[in-house]
Amino acid sequence: MTLTISRPTLFLLSLLLATLTQAQDSFKPFTAASFAEIKQGFEGQEFLVGLWSVDCPPCLVELNLMGSILEQNPELPFVLISTDSIEDRKWAHEFLEDFGLAGRESWMFADSFEERLRYSIDPGWYGELPRSYFFDEDHQMQSHSGIMTRELLDSWFSRPLDL
Amino acid sequence: MRIKIQTFILGLGCLLLSGLVSAQAANCSDGLISVHCGDAPSATFDAEGDLWVAFVQDMHVYVSRSEDRGRSFSIPTQVNPVAEDAEFNGENRPKIIVDGDEIYVSWTKKTSPRFTGEIRFARSTDSGRTFSEPRTINDDGLFTGHRFESLFLSDSGHLYLTWIDKRDLEASLEKEQEYSGAAVYYAVSADGGETFSSNYRVANHSCECCRIAIAPRGPQDIAILWRQIFGVTTRDHAIAVLSPQGETTERHRASYDEWEINACPHHGPSMIQGLNTDQYHMAWFTNGDAHQGVYYGRFSFALGSPQLVRQIDANPGAGHPFLQSLDGTVYMVWKGFDGQRSLIYSIQSGDEGRSWSDAEVLASTQEGSDHPFIVSDGESLSLSWKTKEHGYIFETFAGLRTTASD
Repeated sequence: MTLTISRPTLFLLSLLLATLTQAQDSFKPFTAASFAEIKQGFEGQEFLVGLWSVDCPPCLVELNLMGSILEQNPELPFVLISTDSIEDRKWAHEFLEDFGLAGRESWMFADSFEERLRYSIDPGWYGELPRSYFFDEDHQMQSHSGIMTRELLDSWFSRPLDL
Repeated sequence: MRIKIQTFILGLGCLLLSGLVSAQAANCSDGLISVHCGDAPSATFDAEGDLWVAFVQDMHVYVSRSEDRGRSFSIPTQVNPVAEDAEFNGENRPKIIVDGDEIYVSWTKKTSPRFTGEIRFARSTDSGRTFSEPRTINDDGLFTGHRFESLFLSDSGHLYLTWIDKRDLEASLEKEQEYSGAAVYYAVSADGGETFSSNYRVANHSCECCRIAIAPRGPQDIAILWRQIFGVTTRDHAIAVLSPQGETTERHRASYDEWEINACPHHGPSMIQGLNTDQYHMAWFTNGDAHQGVYYGRFSFALGSPQLVRQIDANPGAGHPFLQSLDGTVYMVWKGFDGQRSLIYSIQSGDEGRSWSDAEVLASTQEGSDHPFIVSDGESLSLSWKTKEHGYIFETFAGLRTTASD
Protein backbone atom coordinates (compact mmCIF):
# COMPACT_ATOMS: atom_id res chain seq x y z
CA MET A 1 0.00 0.00 0.00
CA THR A 2 1.34 3.39 -0.91
CA LEU A 3 0.80 6.34 1.32
CA THR A 4 -0.82 9.18 -0.56
CA ILE A 5 -1.21 12.64 0.87
CA SER A 6 -3.88 14.73 -0.76
CA ARG A 7 -3.08 18.24 -1.84
CA PRO A 8 -5.25 19.94 0.78
CA THR A 9 -3.56 17.89 3.49
CA LEU A 10 -0.15 18.79 2.10
CA PHE A 11 -1.16 22.44 2.16
CA LEU A 12 -2.29 22.20 5.77
CA LEU A 13 0.92 20.42 6.72
CA SER A 14 3.07 23.11 5.12
CA LEU A 15 0.98 25.77 6.86
CA LEU A 16 1.52 24.02 10.17
CA LEU A 17 5.23 23.75 9.47
CA ALA A 18 5.39 27.46 8.64
CA THR A 19 3.60 28.31 11.88
CA LEU A 20 5.96 26.12 13.89
CA THR A 21 9.02 27.67 12.24
CA GLN A 22 7.69 31.15 12.92
CA ALA A 23 6.97 30.34 16.54
CA GLN A 24 10.72 30.01 17.14
CA ASP A 25 11.18 33.76 17.39
CA SER A 26 10.37 35.46 20.66
CA PHE A 27 8.76 38.67 19.36
CA LYS A 28 6.01 40.14 21.43
CA PRO A 29 3.45 42.46 19.82
CA PHE A 30 4.23 46.07 20.77
CA THR A 31 1.08 48.12 21.33
CA ALA A 32 0.43 51.51 22.92
CA ALA A 33 0.38 49.80 26.34
CA SER A 34 3.60 47.82 25.91
CA PHE A 35 6.17 50.41 26.90
CA ALA A 36 4.56 50.83 30.35
CA GLU A 37 4.64 47.04 30.65
CA ILE A 38 8.33 46.92 29.76
CA LYS A 39 9.16 49.59 32.33
CA GLN A 40 7.14 47.76 34.96
CA GLY A 41 9.19 44.64 34.28
CA PHE A 42 12.34 46.55 35.25
CA GLU A 43 10.97 48.35 38.29
CA GLY A 44 13.79 49.68 40.45
CA GLN A 45 16.39 48.54 37.94
CA GLU A 46 18.36 50.27 35.21
CA PHE A 47 17.83 49.04 31.65
CA LEU A 48 18.47 49.87 28.02
CA VAL A 49 16.00 49.94 25.11
CA GLY A 50 17.16 49.70 21.50
CA LEU A 51 14.77 50.70 18.70
CA TRP A 52 15.59 49.42 15.23
CA SER A 53 14.21 48.42 11.84
CA VAL A 54 15.16 46.01 9.08
CA ASP A 55 14.97 49.07 6.79
CA CYS A 56 17.73 51.06 8.52
CA PRO A 57 21.37 50.42 7.55
CA PRO A 58 22.91 52.08 10.65
CA CYS A 59 20.69 49.88 12.83
CA LEU A 60 22.60 46.83 11.63
CA VAL A 61 25.87 48.43 12.68
CA GLU A 62 24.36 49.00 16.10
CA LEU A 63 22.93 45.47 16.37
CA ASN A 64 26.35 44.10 15.49
CA LEU A 65 27.93 46.22 18.25
CA MET A 66 25.26 45.29 20.80
CA GLY A 67 25.65 41.63 19.90
CA SER A 68 29.33 41.70 20.79
CA ILE A 69 28.82 43.85 23.91
CA LEU A 70 26.15 41.47 25.18
CA GLU A 71 28.43 38.54 24.55
CA GLN A 72 30.88 40.15 26.99
CA ASN A 73 28.09 41.34 29.32
CA PRO A 74 25.31 38.76 29.14
CA GLU A 75 23.59 40.20 32.21
CA LEU A 76 23.15 43.63 30.63
CA PRO A 77 19.41 44.41 30.72
CA PHE A 78 18.57 45.16 27.10
CA VAL A 79 15.19 45.23 25.36
CA LEU A 80 14.84 45.38 21.59
CA ILE A 81 11.89 47.02 19.82
CA SER A 82 11.60 46.73 16.06
CA THR A 83 9.49 49.42 14.41
CA ASP A 84 8.70 47.01 11.57
CA SER A 85 5.26 45.46 11.50
CA ILE A 86 5.15 42.19 13.42
CA GLU A 87 3.89 40.67 10.17
CA ASP A 88 7.50 40.98 8.97
CA ARG A 89 8.80 38.99 11.95
CA LYS A 90 10.57 36.44 9.75
CA TRP A 91 12.96 39.06 8.37
CA ALA A 92 13.52 40.71 11.71
CA HIS A 93 14.27 37.34 13.30
CA GLU A 94 16.91 36.60 10.65
CA PHE A 95 18.73 39.83 11.51
CA LEU A 96 18.66 39.16 15.25
CA GLU A 97 19.94 35.63 14.74
CA ASP A 98 22.84 36.99 12.68
CA PHE A 99 23.91 39.22 15.54
CA GLY A 100 23.32 36.69 18.31
CA LEU A 101 20.42 38.72 19.70
CA ALA A 102 17.56 36.33 18.97
CA GLY A 103 17.34 35.24 22.61
CA ARG A 104 16.85 38.77 23.98
CA GLU A 105 13.55 40.34 25.05
CA SER A 106 12.20 41.55 21.75
CA TRP A 107 9.12 43.40 20.57
CA MET A 108 7.77 44.41 17.17
CA PHE A 109 5.28 47.16 16.28
CA ALA A 110 1.80 45.62 16.17
CA ASP A 111 -0.36 48.64 15.31
CA SER A 112 -0.35 50.47 11.98
CA PHE A 113 -0.89 53.70 13.92
CA GLU A 114 2.88 54.11 14.35
CA GLU A 115 2.58 57.69 15.57
CA ARG A 116 0.70 56.49 18.64
CA LEU A 117 3.28 53.79 19.34
CA ARG A 118 6.14 56.26 19.00
CA TYR A 119 4.31 58.71 21.27
CA SER A 120 3.83 56.00 23.91
CA ILE A 121 7.60 55.57 24.04
CA ASP A 122 8.60 59.23 23.84
CA PRO A 123 6.60 62.16 22.37
CA GLY A 124 9.93 63.82 21.58
CA TRP A 125 11.12 61.02 19.29
CA TYR A 126 10.71 61.81 15.59
CA GLY A 127 11.07 58.26 14.36
CA GLU A 128 14.76 58.38 13.40
CA LEU A 129 16.62 55.09 13.83
CA PRO A 130 18.49 53.66 15.59
CA ARG A 131 17.16 55.24 18.78
CA SER A 132 18.15 54.24 22.31
CA TYR A 133 16.71 54.89 25.75
CA PHE A 134 18.43 54.31 29.05
CA PHE A 135 16.45 54.20 32.29
CA ASP A 136 18.31 54.46 35.57
CA GLU A 137 17.13 52.81 38.80
CA ASP A 138 14.64 55.65 39.37
CA HIS A 139 13.61 55.31 35.72
CA GLN A 140 14.96 58.73 34.81
CA MET A 141 15.20 58.51 31.02
CA GLN A 142 18.07 59.45 28.71
CA SER A 143 17.89 59.15 24.93
CA HIS A 144 20.27 58.85 22.01
CA SER A 145 19.70 59.02 18.24
CA GLY A 146 22.14 57.23 15.98
CA ILE A 147 24.48 54.30 16.51
CA MET A 148 25.18 53.37 20.14
CA THR A 149 28.73 53.83 21.41
CA ARG A 150 30.65 51.94 24.09
CA GLU A 151 31.43 55.28 25.76
CA LEU A 152 27.77 56.18 26.08
CA LEU A 153 26.88 52.78 27.53
CA ASP A 154 29.73 53.13 30.00
CA SER A 155 28.49 56.55 31.10
CA TRP A 156 24.86 55.44 31.36
CA PHE A 157 25.15 52.22 33.34
CA SER A 158 26.12 52.45 37.02
CA ARG A 159 27.38 48.87 37.02
CA PRO A 160 30.84 48.19 35.63
CA LEU A 161 30.71 46.91 32.06
CA ASP A 162 33.24 44.80 30.19
CA LEU A 163 33.60 46.99 27.09
CA MET B 1 -13.12 22.17 -7.43
CA ARG B 2 -11.56 23.81 -10.43
CA ILE B 3 -14.97 24.61 -11.90
CA LYS B 4 -16.05 26.22 -8.67
CA ILE B 5 -13.02 28.48 -8.58
CA GLN B 6 -13.54 29.54 -12.18
CA THR B 7 -17.17 30.36 -11.50
CA PHE B 8 -16.13 32.37 -8.49
CA ILE B 9 -13.55 34.34 -10.44
CA LEU B 10 -16.06 34.92 -13.21
CA GLY B 11 -18.57 36.17 -10.64
CA LEU B 12 -15.99 38.42 -9.06
CA GLY B 13 -15.09 39.74 -12.50
CA CYS B 14 -18.72 40.64 -13.23
CA LEU B 15 -18.99 42.31 -9.87
CA LEU B 16 -15.91 44.41 -10.50
CA LEU B 17 -16.94 45.26 -14.04
CA SER B 18 -20.40 46.31 -12.95
CA GLY B 19 -19.28 49.86 -12.36
CA LEU B 20 -17.09 52.34 -10.59
CA VAL B 21 -16.05 51.54 -7.06
CA SER B 22 -16.90 54.24 -4.56
CA ALA B 23 -15.21 54.90 -1.22
CA GLN B 24 -18.22 53.64 0.69
CA ALA B 25 -18.33 50.39 -1.26
CA ALA B 26 -14.73 49.49 -0.54
CA ASN B 27 -14.73 46.58 1.85
CA CYS B 28 -11.06 45.74 1.97
CA SER B 29 -11.45 42.51 3.93
CA ASP B 30 -12.84 40.85 0.79
CA GLY B 31 -9.53 41.25 -1.02
CA LEU B 32 -10.96 44.04 -3.17
CA ILE B 33 -8.33 45.76 -5.28
CA SER B 34 -9.00 49.45 -4.75
CA VAL B 35 -7.28 52.75 -4.10
CA HIS B 36 -8.98 52.62 -0.69
CA CYS B 37 -7.49 49.22 0.13
CA GLY B 38 -4.01 49.56 -1.38
CA ASP B 39 -1.01 51.42 0.04
CA ALA B 40 1.18 54.46 -0.66
CA PRO B 41 -0.83 56.18 -3.42
CA SER B 42 0.47 58.93 -5.71
CA ALA B 43 -2.02 61.06 -7.62
CA THR B 44 -2.01 63.40 -10.63
CA PHE B 45 -4.51 65.08 -12.94
CA ASP B 46 -4.53 64.71 -16.72
CA ALA B 47 -5.26 67.61 -19.09
CA GLU B 48 -8.98 66.68 -19.17
CA GLY B 49 -9.29 66.97 -15.39
CA ASP B 50 -9.44 63.25 -14.67
CA LEU B 51 -7.60 62.13 -11.54
CA TRP B 52 -5.14 59.23 -11.81
CA VAL B 53 -3.83 57.32 -8.81
CA ALA B 54 -1.03 54.74 -8.66
CA PHE B 55 -0.86 52.49 -5.60
CA VAL B 56 0.50 49.15 -4.38
CA GLN B 57 -1.57 46.17 -3.35
CA ASP B 58 -0.62 42.50 -2.99
CA MET B 59 2.75 42.74 -4.81
CA HIS B 60 1.32 44.71 -7.73
CA VAL B 61 1.33 48.34 -8.77
CA TYR B 62 -2.13 49.46 -9.92
CA VAL B 63 -3.42 52.54 -11.69
CA SER B 64 -6.96 53.77 -11.21
CA ARG B 65 -8.81 56.78 -12.71
CA SER B 66 -11.49 59.02 -11.30
CA GLU B 67 -13.74 61.18 -13.46
CA ASP B 68 -15.32 62.89 -10.44
CA ARG B 69 -12.30 64.15 -8.49
CA GLY B 70 -11.88 61.10 -6.28
CA ARG B 71 -15.48 60.31 -5.37
CA SER B 72 -15.42 57.14 -7.45
CA PHE B 73 -12.64 55.23 -9.18
CA SER B 74 -12.33 52.95 -12.20
CA ILE B 75 -11.46 49.28 -11.82
CA PRO B 76 -7.70 49.37 -11.21
CA THR B 77 -5.37 48.30 -14.03
CA GLN B 78 -2.45 46.10 -13.06
CA VAL B 79 0.88 47.61 -14.12
CA ASN B 80 3.21 44.68 -13.38
CA PRO B 81 1.66 41.39 -14.56
CA VAL B 82 4.17 39.30 -12.60
CA ALA B 83 3.98 39.88 -8.84
CA GLU B 84 7.01 41.65 -7.39
CA ASP B 85 7.82 43.27 -4.06
CA ALA B 86 6.98 46.88 -4.96
CA GLU B 87 7.88 49.07 -1.99
CA PHE B 88 5.12 50.98 -0.27
CA ASN B 89 5.91 53.25 2.64
CA GLY B 90 6.08 56.96 3.36
CA GLU B 91 9.33 57.55 1.49
CA ASN B 92 8.86 54.83 -1.17
CA ARG B 93 5.76 54.80 -3.33
CA PRO B 94 4.86 54.30 -6.99
CA LYS B 95 4.96 57.53 -9.02
CA ILE B 96 2.66 58.42 -11.90
CA ILE B 97 2.74 61.04 -14.67
CA VAL B 98 0.03 61.37 -17.33
CA ASP B 99 0.91 63.13 -20.59
CA GLY B 100 -1.88 62.85 -23.16
CA ASP B 101 -2.40 59.16 -23.95
CA GLU B 102 0.90 58.25 -22.30
CA ILE B 103 1.14 57.20 -18.67
CA TYR B 104 4.49 56.75 -16.95
CA VAL B 105 4.79 54.73 -13.76
CA SER B 106 7.89 54.08 -11.67
CA TRP B 107 8.48 52.24 -8.42
CA THR B 108 11.17 50.53 -6.35
CA LYS B 109 11.25 46.75 -6.36
CA LYS B 110 12.60 45.37 -3.12
CA THR B 111 14.94 42.50 -3.92
CA SER B 112 15.74 41.38 -0.37
CA PRO B 113 15.21 42.65 3.15
CA ARG B 114 18.75 44.03 3.24
CA PHE B 115 18.19 47.39 1.56
CA THR B 116 18.60 46.12 -1.98
CA GLY B 117 16.24 47.14 -4.73
CA GLU B 118 15.78 47.99 -8.37
CA ILE B 119 14.32 51.05 -10.05
CA ARG B 120 11.37 49.90 -12.16
CA PHE B 121 9.53 51.67 -14.95
CA ALA B 122 6.52 50.89 -17.15
CA ARG B 123 4.43 53.01 -19.49
CA SER B 124 1.11 52.93 -21.22
CA THR B 125 0.61 54.45 -24.66
CA ASP B 126 -3.13 53.74 -24.77
CA SER B 127 -4.44 55.84 -21.87
CA GLY B 128 -3.85 53.18 -19.25
CA ARG B 129 -5.58 50.22 -20.93
CA THR B 130 -2.31 48.29 -21.15
CA PHE B 131 1.19 48.77 -19.76
CA SER B 132 4.56 47.80 -21.18
CA GLU B 133 6.52 45.07 -19.44
CA PRO B 134 8.27 46.67 -16.43
CA ARG B 135 11.96 47.45 -16.97
CA THR B 136 14.85 47.94 -14.57
CA ILE B 137 16.43 51.36 -15.09
CA ASN B 138 19.56 51.04 -12.92
CA ASP B 139 22.19 49.71 -15.34
CA ASP B 140 24.93 48.42 -13.03
CA GLY B 141 23.62 44.86 -12.81
CA LEU B 142 24.55 44.86 -9.12
CA PHE B 143 22.50 43.25 -6.40
CA THR B 144 22.62 46.33 -4.20
CA GLY B 145 20.51 49.29 -3.13
CA HIS B 146 18.70 51.28 -5.82
CA ARG B 147 15.72 52.82 -4.07
CA PHE B 148 13.76 55.98 -3.26
CA GLU B 149 13.11 56.84 -6.90
CA SER B 150 11.45 60.04 -8.11
CA LEU B 151 9.93 60.69 -11.55
CA PHE B 152 9.65 64.02 -13.38
CA LEU B 153 8.65 65.15 -16.88
CA SER B 154 10.14 68.45 -18.06
CA ASP B 155 8.39 70.89 -20.42
CA SER B 156 10.83 69.77 -23.11
CA GLY B 157 9.49 66.21 -22.73
CA HIS B 158 12.53 64.78 -20.95
CA LEU B 159 11.49 62.12 -18.48
CA TYR B 160 13.83 62.01 -15.45
CA LEU B 161 14.23 59.23 -12.92
CA THR B 162 16.40 60.00 -9.88
CA TRP B 163 17.21 57.60 -7.04
CA ILE B 164 19.47 56.64 -4.12
CA ASP B 165 22.13 54.18 -5.27
CA LYS B 166 24.68 52.04 -3.41
CA ARG B 167 26.96 50.92 -6.27
CA ASP B 168 29.78 53.24 -5.13
CA LEU B 169 29.42 51.99 -1.58
CA GLU B 170 29.80 48.43 -2.89
CA ALA B 171 32.88 49.39 -4.91
CA SER B 172 34.48 51.01 -1.86
CA LEU B 173 33.73 48.05 0.37
CA GLU B 174 35.39 45.76 -2.15
CA LYS B 175 38.52 47.87 -1.87
CA GLU B 176 38.07 47.81 1.91
CA GLN B 177 37.59 51.57 1.95
CA GLU B 178 34.99 53.32 4.06
CA TYR B 179 32.10 55.05 2.31
CA SER B 180 29.49 57.01 4.21
CA GLY B 181 25.89 56.91 3.05
CA ALA B 182 24.91 56.21 -0.55
CA ALA B 183 24.92 58.15 -3.85
CA VAL B 184 22.32 59.95 -5.97
CA TYR B 185 21.96 58.73 -9.57
CA TYR B 186 19.62 59.52 -12.44
CA ALA B 187 18.64 58.52 -15.97
CA VAL B 188 16.73 60.43 -18.66
CA SER B 189 14.42 59.41 -21.47
CA ALA B 190 14.01 61.71 -24.46
CA ASP B 191 11.42 59.48 -26.14
CA GLY B 192 8.63 59.17 -23.61
CA GLY B 193 10.12 56.28 -21.70
CA GLU B 194 10.79 54.02 -24.67
CA THR B 195 14.52 54.17 -23.99
CA PHE B 196 16.58 55.62 -21.14
CA SER B 197 20.09 57.07 -21.04
CA SER B 198 22.82 55.34 -19.09
CA ASN B 199 22.91 56.13 -15.36
CA TYR B 200 24.57 59.38 -14.25
CA ARG B 201 25.94 60.05 -10.78
CA VAL B 202 24.90 63.33 -9.13
CA ALA B 203 26.67 63.08 -5.79
CA ASN B 204 28.44 60.72 -3.44
CA HIS B 205 27.53 60.43 0.26
CA SER B 206 23.82 61.07 0.24
CA CYS B 207 21.64 59.94 3.10
CA GLU B 208 20.38 56.37 2.46
CA CYS B 209 16.72 56.62 3.28
CA CYS B 210 14.99 59.84 2.21
CA ARG B 211 12.90 60.71 -0.83
CA ILE B 212 14.32 63.17 -3.42
CA ALA B 213 12.36 66.32 -4.39
CA ILE B 214 12.32 67.52 -8.03
CA ALA B 215 11.29 70.85 -9.61
CA PRO B 216 11.86 72.30 -13.09
CA ARG B 217 14.92 74.45 -13.86
CA GLY B 218 14.21 75.92 -17.30
CA PRO B 219 12.40 73.91 -20.00
CA GLN B 220 14.64 70.86 -19.92
CA ASP B 221 16.83 70.83 -16.79
CA ILE B 222 15.66 69.92 -13.29
CA ALA B 223 16.61 71.02 -9.79
CA ILE B 224 16.72 68.30 -7.16
CA LEU B 225 16.82 68.57 -3.37
CA TRP B 226 18.01 65.68 -1.22
CA ARG B 227 19.40 64.84 2.21
CA GLN B 228 23.18 64.77 1.98
CA ILE B 229 25.91 63.85 4.46
CA PHE B 230 28.14 66.87 5.08
CA GLY B 231 31.36 66.26 6.97
CA VAL B 232 31.22 62.99 8.87
CA THR B 233 27.62 62.68 10.07
CA THR B 234 25.78 65.95 9.40
CA ARG B 235 22.64 65.05 7.45
CA ASP B 236 21.33 68.33 6.01
CA HIS B 237 20.22 69.10 2.44
CA ALA B 238 21.92 69.68 -0.90
CA ILE B 239 20.50 71.10 -4.12
CA ALA B 240 21.79 70.69 -7.69
CA VAL B 241 20.74 71.11 -11.31
CA LEU B 242 20.70 68.11 -13.67
CA SER B 243 20.62 68.20 -17.46
CA PRO B 244 19.32 65.63 -19.94
CA GLN B 245 22.94 65.11 -21.03
CA GLY B 246 24.00 63.87 -17.62
CA GLU B 247 25.71 67.00 -16.29
CA THR B 248 25.29 68.09 -12.69
CA THR B 249 25.79 71.82 -12.11
CA GLU B 250 24.96 74.52 -9.56
CA ARG B 251 25.53 72.22 -6.58
CA HIS B 252 25.05 73.93 -3.22
CA ARG B 253 24.29 73.18 0.37
CA ALA B 254 20.61 74.05 0.82
CA SER B 255 20.05 73.73 4.58
CA TYR B 256 22.24 74.44 7.60
CA ASP B 257 20.45 72.58 10.37
CA GLU B 258 23.55 70.83 11.72
CA TRP B 259 21.72 67.54 12.19
CA GLU B 260 24.60 65.35 13.26
CA ILE B 261 23.14 61.92 13.24
CA ASN B 262 24.41 58.53 12.26
CA ALA B 263 20.92 57.24 11.67
CA CYS B 264 18.08 57.04 9.17
CA PRO B 265 15.70 59.99 9.45
CA HIS B 266 13.28 58.54 6.81
CA HIS B 267 12.30 62.13 6.16
CA GLY B 268 12.80 63.52 2.65
CA PRO B 269 12.23 67.15 1.58
CA SER B 270 9.70 68.84 -0.74
CA MET B 271 10.44 71.58 -3.30
CA ILE B 272 8.64 73.75 -5.89
CA GLN B 273 9.85 76.55 -8.13
CA GLY B 274 9.00 80.13 -7.12
CA LEU B 275 7.43 82.93 -9.20
CA ASN B 276 10.96 84.20 -9.62
CA THR B 277 12.25 81.11 -11.41
CA ASP B 278 15.65 81.45 -9.79
CA GLN B 279 14.08 80.78 -6.40
CA TYR B 280 12.88 77.48 -4.97
CA HIS B 281 10.52 76.96 -2.06
CA MET B 282 11.75 74.16 0.16
CA ALA B 283 10.15 72.35 3.12
CA TRP B 284 11.86 69.73 5.23
CA PHE B 285 12.20 68.15 8.62
CA THR B 286 15.26 68.32 10.82
CA ASN B 287 16.30 67.72 14.39
CA GLY B 288 19.66 69.44 14.23
CA ASP B 289 21.56 71.61 16.67
CA ALA B 290 20.60 74.78 14.76
CA HIS B 291 17.04 73.89 13.73
CA GLN B 292 14.41 71.46 14.99
CA GLY B 293 11.04 70.55 13.49
CA VAL B 294 9.32 71.27 10.19
CA TYR B 295 11.12 74.06 8.29
CA TYR B 296 10.58 76.32 5.33
CA GLY B 297 13.31 78.04 3.31
CA ARG B 298 13.63 79.59 -0.13
CA PHE B 299 16.74 78.70 -2.05
CA SER B 300 18.21 81.31 -4.39
CA PHE B 301 20.54 79.96 -7.06
CA ALA B 302 21.78 83.53 -7.71
CA LEU B 303 22.91 83.79 -4.08
CA GLY B 304 23.73 80.10 -3.73
CA SER B 305 22.09 79.97 -0.30
CA PRO B 306 18.76 79.47 1.49
CA GLN B 307 16.76 82.58 2.46
CA LEU B 308 13.72 83.22 4.69
CA VAL B 309 14.46 80.07 6.70
CA ARG B 310 11.86 79.64 9.41
CA GLN B 311 10.50 77.07 11.78
CA ILE B 312 6.96 76.01 10.87
CA ASP B 313 6.14 73.43 13.54
CA ALA B 314 8.33 72.27 16.40
CA ASN B 315 5.71 70.14 18.14
CA PRO B 316 6.66 66.52 18.76
CA GLY B 317 5.35 64.33 15.95
CA ALA B 318 5.33 67.08 13.29
CA GLY B 319 6.84 66.02 9.97
CA HIS B 320 6.63 65.14 6.28
CA PRO B 321 5.87 68.59 4.80
CA PHE B 322 4.76 68.92 1.17
CA LEU B 323 4.59 72.07 -0.98
CA GLN B 324 2.47 73.17 -3.94
CA SER B 325 1.46 76.52 -5.37
CA LEU B 326 -1.66 77.98 -6.97
CA ASP B 327 -2.02 81.41 -8.58
CA GLY B 328 1.08 82.75 -6.89
CA THR B 329 0.19 81.45 -3.43
CA VAL B 330 2.44 78.81 -1.84
CA TYR B 331 0.74 76.12 0.23
CA MET B 332 2.32 73.69 2.66
CA VAL B 333 0.74 70.64 4.29
CA TRP B 334 2.34 68.44 6.94
CA LYS B 335 1.43 65.83 9.46
CA GLY B 336 1.23 66.24 13.22
CA PHE B 337 0.19 64.12 16.17
CA ASP B 338 -1.64 65.41 19.24
CA GLY B 339 -1.35 62.32 21.39
CA GLN B 340 -4.57 60.83 20.07
CA ARG B 341 -4.94 61.80 16.42
CA SER B 342 -2.78 62.37 13.39
CA LEU B 343 -3.69 65.74 11.87
CA ILE B 344 -2.94 67.29 8.51
CA TYR B 345 -2.13 70.97 8.84
CA SER B 346 -2.07 73.56 6.08
CA ILE B 347 -0.57 77.04 5.83
CA GLN B 348 -0.22 79.45 2.92
CA SER B 349 1.98 82.34 1.86
CA GLY B 350 0.87 84.98 -0.63
CA ASP B 351 4.25 86.72 -0.70
CA GLU B 352 6.62 83.98 -1.83
CA GLY B 353 7.43 82.69 1.62
CA ARG B 354 8.04 85.96 3.48
CA SER B 355 4.99 85.54 5.70
CA TRP B 356 2.71 82.61 6.38
CA SER B 357 -0.90 82.22 7.52
CA ASP B 358 -1.88 80.48 10.75
CA ALA B 359 -2.17 76.72 10.45
CA GLU B 360 -5.54 75.12 9.86
CA VAL B 361 -6.44 71.45 10.14
CA LEU B 362 -7.48 69.88 6.83
CA ALA B 363 -8.11 66.32 8.01
CA SER B 364 -7.42 63.93 10.86
CA THR B 365 -7.52 60.26 11.77
CA GLN B 366 -7.37 58.12 14.88
CA GLU B 367 -5.60 55.31 13.08
CA GLY B 368 -2.50 54.79 10.93
CA SER B 369 -1.90 56.98 7.89
CA ASP B 370 0.45 57.81 5.02
CA HIS B 371 2.37 61.04 4.37
CA PRO B 372 0.18 63.91 3.05
CA PHE B 373 0.49 65.25 -0.53
CA ILE B 374 -1.00 68.16 -2.48
CA VAL B 375 -2.23 67.57 -6.04
CA SER B 376 -2.85 70.47 -8.42
CA ASP B 377 -4.99 70.60 -11.56
CA GLY B 378 -3.89 74.16 -12.25
CA GLU B 379 -7.14 75.62 -10.88
CA SER B 380 -7.34 74.02 -7.46
CA LEU B 381 -5.31 72.17 -4.87
CA SER B 382 -6.39 68.94 -3.20
CA LEU B 383 -5.10 66.93 -0.27
CA SER B 384 -4.14 63.37 -1.24
CA TRP B 385 -3.89 61.23 1.89
CA LYS B 386 -4.29 57.52 2.53
CA THR B 387 -5.63 56.59 5.94
CA LYS B 388 -6.53 53.24 7.40
CA GLU B 389 -9.67 54.67 8.94
CA HIS B 390 -11.17 56.56 5.99
CA GLY B 391 -9.46 54.90 3.02
CA TYR B 392 -8.07 57.24 0.38
CA ILE B 393 -8.93 60.89 1.02
CA PHE B 394 -8.94 63.31 -1.90
CA GLU B 395 -10.18 66.66 -0.65
CA THR B 396 -10.01 69.95 -2.58
CA PHE B 397 -9.00 72.73 -0.19
CA ALA B 398 -7.92 75.67 -2.37
CA GLY B 399 -9.25 77.16 -5.61
CA LEU B 400 -12.43 75.99 -7.41
CA ARG B 401 -15.35 75.65 -4.99
CA THR B 402 -13.38 77.08 -2.09
CA THR B 403 -12.78 80.43 -3.83
CA ALA B 404 -16.55 81.10 -3.87
CA SER B 405 -16.71 80.99 -0.09
CA ASP B 406 -13.54 83.03 0.48
